[in-house]
Amino acid sequence: MRVWCWRAAVLLAALLLWEGAARMLNPILYVGPSRLPSALGRVLATRDLPPLSGHVWLTLGEITAAYALAVAGGLWVGFLLGLRKTLGRIYEPLLAALYAVPSVVWYPSLMLFLGLGPASKIAFGVLLGFFPVTLSVLAGIRQVPDTLVVVAVSMGAGRWTLFRKVMLPAMASTMVGGLRSGLALSVVGVLVGELLGARAGLGYVINYAYGLMMTAEYAALVVLVAAAVLLLDGVGSVIEGRVKRWAG
Amino acid sequence: MGRLTVFACQALSIAAALLGWEAAVRGGVVDPLFVPAPSAVLGVLAGTVPETLPRLGDTLVKTFLGYALAVCVGVPAGLVLGSRPAAHAVAMPYVVALYGIPKILILPWIALIFGIGLSTAALSAAVFAIFPVVVLVAAGTRDVDPALVTVAVSMGANRVQIARKILLPAVLPSVLTAMRVAVVFALLGALLAEMLAGNRGIGFQMQRTALAFRAPELFAITAIVSVLSISVVLFLEHLNRRLGRWR
Repeated sequence: MRVWCWRAAVLLAALLLWEGAARMLNPILYVGPSRLPSALGRVLATRDLPPLSGHVWLTLGEITAAYALAVAGGLWVGFLLGLRKTLGRIYEPLLAALYAVPSVVWYPSLMLFLGLGPASKIAFGVLLGFFPVTLSVLAGIRQVPDTLVVVAVSMGAGRWTLFRKVMLPAMASTMVGGLRSGLALSVVGVLVGELLGARAGLGYVINYAYGLMMTAEYAALVVLVAAAVLLLDGVGSVIEGRVKRWAG
Repeated sequence: MGRLTVFACQALSIAAALLGWEAAVRGGVVDPLFVPAPSAVLGVLAGTVPETLPRLGDTLVKTFLGYALAVCVGVPAGLVLGSRPAAHAVAMPYVVALYGIPKILILPWIALIFGIGLSTAALSAAVFAIFPVVVLVAAGTRDVDPALVTVAVSMGANRVQIARKILLPAVLPSVLTAMRVAVVFALLGALLAEMLAGNRGIGFQMQRTALAFRAPELFAITAIVSVLSISVVLFLEHLNRRLGRWR
């Protein structure tokens, strides 16, 4: 209980500091929290801005597509390299090397290849989300105790039973962590793509407001998107907790 | 399977991929305007290097400034949060939340205040790198076994001895991991700032090359940057293993 009071106090202090600093400085560059609600109202009423709902749906669609493809590809590659040890030994270092490259390096090429439409954003979201999923599957498979597998097989467990009863529980907590960071990175990928060059989507609206120096509207949009991302991640953490409890 | 065989298989796979790519371009499966053949990329590579290296240096300076800032602020912050349970309970949810928010959202604002020069990119690098540092160092510090400290105190160790003999070796691995992870984050932040609002540096050059449809040059620059960051990461991992052996 006392912890919650302190947390609230920290938040309040940060907001007051922000407000105080913003009042003393140039109002075009620095937007205090007190100006956010009215700016949010203007954004939602879409005065001077492109109508929001279409852009929100487009961005959500891009994120969904990117995450679905990243999960499908990541699980497939992860299990392929994890279960076929030879393939794993050859290709896992190559994957790890690619992961060491700052991802944004790939975006200009994707933009050139796929254009400014949704395809390049989805591709970038897939690229970012793919790695944590794949790497978590590989790490999870390594956590499966060999003895359990040997015992289960010697007792006559089939492939599916082996996977369902032995491997999945041992892998679950690592894998679900990877799936969660994959979602976060898919979201980042789509947003980065939209901010770096797009004609539609939430990132485009943010860029539009910023480009016209509508700083209050820009700040309101950023707070809105950040809150949505945190909410999504909160749901992810609840699911992660459930799965971890199931796996023990 | 020996290490040499694995290495040969890796080299063969990369060669096969490059050959397949070359064949796809020559066979007209993909348009060379958007995806140039590896031979075309190789052709412009030598010409791209003189233009790219100074810009790359520019970007690396920004990356280093932001990285240094992130480590100098992030490591002490992580140590404080990790060693004081009350501070951890109050502040950590905020740190994790800030870590989770896509940093790209506030880049336009940073660019608005600091302009399109060095400070924006350096600050962006710092913003990208600082949160993983704080989180990793705090987690490592919390994991220090309190029993070790209790035993040392009961045996009459003073504060300096505890810090030197117990806390430092226990915390060092997580600090090193954080410092290694932060390099890629800082580079990412600097590149992103240059792409979004820059007039110099490699990120700006990549974005401009893409918009000018100079695909072979773009691929050559991408290859140079990729090879550079892969070698930096491999070098740091090597260093880490050496340090681990030393401990």
